[in-house]
Amino acid sequence: MDVTSILDAQKAKQQNVTVEKETPLEIDAGHLMVSDLNPIDEESYNENLEEHLRALARDGTQALLAALFSLPTSKSADGPLAQLPPRTYQLPRQKALPKPKPPTKWERFAAAKGISHVKRDKKEWDEERQEWVNRWGKDGKNRRVEEQWLTEVKRNADPDHNPQLAARHERKERIAKNEKQHLANLARASGSSASGPSSRKAELEKSIATTRASTASMGKFDRKLDGEKKLRGVKRKFDPAERSVVDEQKSALKLIGSMDSDARKMRKAPRENEEGSVNARKAIRFASKGKGAASMAGGETRGKSSFAKGKKGGRR
Amino acid sequence: MLRVIKPKTARSKRALDAREPKEVEDPRTVIFVKGTHTGEVVNGVFKDLMALKRPHAVAFNKKNVIHPFDSATNSSTTSSSAAGSSTSIASLEFWAAKNDASMFVVGQTTKKRPNGMTFVRMFDGRVLDMIEVGVENYKAMADFKTPKSTPGNKPLLHFASELFDTHPRFIHLKSMLIDFFNGEEVDSISLIGLEHVISISLGPTPSTLNDATSMSLLPSTYSADSVHANPLAAVASASFIANSLPPTAATSLAMASASLPKVHIRAYTTKLLSSGVRVPRVELVPMGPALDLVLRRAQAPDSDMLKLAMKRPKLKKTDVEKGLGKKRKNVEVDEMGDLRGRVHVGLQDLSKLKGRRMKGLQEERPGKKQRIEEDDGDDDMDDE
Repeated sequence: MDVTSILDAQKAKQQNVTVEKETPLEIDAGHLMVSDLNPIDEESYNENLEEHLRALARDGTQALLAALFSLPTSKSADGPLAQLPPRTYQLPRQKALPKPKPPTKWERFAAAKGISHVKRDKKEWDEERQEWVNRWGKDGKNRRVEEQWLTEVKRNADPDHNPQLAARHERKERIAKNEKQHLANLARASGSSASGPSSRKAELEKSIATTRASTASMGKFDRKLDGEKKLRGVKRKFDPAERSVVDEQKSALKLIGSMDSDARKMRKAPRENEEGSVNARKAIRFASKGKGAASMAGGETRGKSSFAKGKKGGRR
Repeated sequence: MLRVIKPKTARSKRALDAREPKEVEDPRTVIFVKGTHTGEVVNGVFKDLMALKRPHAVAFNKKNVIHPFDSATNSSTTSSSAAGSSTSIASLEFWAAKNDASMFVVGQTTKKRPNGMTFVRMFDGRVLDMIEVGVENYKAMADFKTPKSTPGNKPLLHFASELFDTHPRFIHLKSMLIDFFNGEEVDSISLIGLEHVISISLGPTPSTLNDATSMSLLPSTYSADSVHANPLAAVASASFIANSLPPTAATSLAMASASLPKVHIRAYTTKLLSSGVRVPRVELVPMGPALDLVLRRAQAPDSDMLKLAMKRPKLKKTDVEKGLGKKRKNVEVDEMGDLRGRVHVGLQDLSKLKGRRMKGLQEERPGKKQRIEEDDGDDDMDDE
């Protein structure tokens, strides 16, 4: 039994598919990439460029295929699939990493209870009708009562009871509830600045304070109820009637200075108009009799003209 | 700049959600934009590259006034204008947002830069980096009368030259070309479906490059391992807009485009021949376009943006079990593939351990010992 010849033949075949290079070729199977880090051979490059390039590529591809064929494979319909290892060479991303979304209320509950998500199909088997019906959508089961032409009603039912409207109302309620929960989830996810109850409380206190100061005497002479907090406010300070001339001069000059400055509070000369000398604001006010430009538009805004936007309200 | 669309139908909402960032990303959609003058060569190259890149490619039909590098030159001259980014960059960002694309190839021919193509990469809607090349010696795909590969197939990539690992400009080019030619990121691939190879090789390294020690161009923290983890880190620290570089003796030589070797891009279809062993022998048939490129200008990525772009998602448990991630102490995967951990208990003094009493295991009392010795003596006498 001369095995050596068989072994030699096998070795020769193996030689066929191995590639020998000075520096071994670096293979990143994850990217299907092979990098040949040997310096380019000048002679073969100058001799015949295309042949040199093709030989280089062939060697590189051979090494890459050897690596790929040695990977663990799994069976599939189209043949063996090689399981690629994770990538070594890293490329920059196109978009920033997705921010992890906080779990919704249901997701937290499900995680705690160990409930896994069950994917439901659009069609459901209806035993009565012995056919597949849609759960929602066209001819969906959820609209069955609304859409059927006959609904049985109890003997003692109210004569005004409309089962179709009742079913529709229920469905709309379910939708509204879902929307509300969804919005609450979004608000929680976006991380509202203040926590729910305390922000509401701050809002209420603010509106109470405003209301208290909205009386004719700006809240000064109103009786304070039990439990109301003391209002903080600026105490008006009045200068004495007689002042030195120097002080008066200083304050007068200061006032003139602030009028000249760019501070927003003082309205200076009328704004420069680009074209013509029409004061658009004044013109609109005159034409709309104080009600504003919106009332001049006509149509749907007519109904709102009593709550006019003009300065003098709707009383003209 | 792009108006935010609020979805009114389920379909538009799905389309919008598809554009959200994902952990594992889709392949980059490339937009091919032609400048004011392109020419036959650039048009042909665009057609061929688009064929290689289908279906993740979009071609603009009209010519556009676009000069991606112009902010670099303009900003120095116009000091009074407050324009942060040039209008070309703004155009690129707008097109990227509108088409949900993250890569551009801009083609332009000028007298100074004939047959120029600029590869532009985007991150997070902004320009990350750009490389301008000039095309010399182009042979179209149609001129190769050979069978072509199926469009959409993932190509095998081959890079030949040591400069792709050492010279920062070529490291940058390698990263850009991988991003361009890469297909989908897949976990497994059908071995029969490996149809084509794209081979990118350089000319021989000129001696000037070797003398100037290209290593000096790289930062001191460079090492072979770190290259793969973050290959562009070496690139980001240097900047290569050749015109604006201060002329120092050694670097100017290296940076001058003339002395950098040419880049050869070839595409071949693979023919797998049966060898005796499991690995088939491969033969290559030239298929696609043959391009010879010369490197011109480049804009390296901004290091902050690069850091963000190279961020990886946290490793999942399955990956750690596979062996990735930081080496966890006392945990290993043994030969059977099971995850094994070691629990360290302190030194235990077993002599102090109190177990159950078993008569047979008890130590003999001194009295008993003597009796046995006497018996032994008797036994001996018996044997005789």
